[in-house]
Amino acid sequence: MPDPTPRGQDEPASPEIDEAGVDRAQIRAMLDLSPEERLRVMEAFRDSVLAIRGANEPGGVR
Amino acid sequence: MNRAGFAEILSRLADHEVKFIVVGMTAGALQGAPVTTIDVDIVHSRDPENVGRLLRALGELDAVYRHDPRGLRPTESHLLSEGHQLLRTKHGDLDCLGTIDQGRGYDDLVPHTVEMSLDDGKKIKVLDLPGLIEAKERAGRPKDLAALPVLRATLDETTRRKP
Repeated sequence: MPDPTPRGQDEPASPEIDEAGVDRAQIRAMLDLSPEERLRVMEAFRDSVLAIRGANEPGGVR
Repeated sequence: MNRAGFAEILSRLADHEVKFIVVGMTAGALQGAPVTTIDVDIVHSRDPENVGRLLRALGELDAVYRHDPRGLRPTESHLLSEGHQLLRTKHGDLDCLGTIDQGRGYDDLVPHTVEMSLDDGKKIKVLDLPGLIEAKERAGRPKDLAALPVLRATLDETTRRKP
């Protein structure tokens, strides 16, 4: 896994992507939340996607 | 922040003392997997008394079949079956599954669950990550296999955190 330490003033830290392509930092951030907070993250994403989808359907509000 | 609709569904089921297990990607999300889904999947005990409690909870949630334009409500015979009841409630979509994974029901899955608490203190049973991974591996469909890397990585991170 790449070293997440920032390499220089203008260089971003390397993402923590494992060999299967999974972002381990995202998982660690989720594990820091309570179960219900995790559900809220999931629903917020779902609602955002559904809103964009709805706005792009014929007759949807843009 | 407002309460998640999915949490409301699970809390209402717990209020009615329904015996159920959260499965599918909601089970993964509850355990920290950065995944999303648009419905909650549960496997319920098909014991007649439990089905009665589930029916009362579903009534309170205004559950109807989401693919049926007549607004049909689930019945006792539906919920006693091994089949999958795909419902819409006032707090979001809920799938009540009699069995999953080649006929495994509530009693088969209980040994592979973890108990989790909602913010209101209600306890729910959730299919644990090894059980979820095994079910996805056995299902073997492309959508199941696609979920495996993130579920395995979540199990790995969870194991590292254990003292």
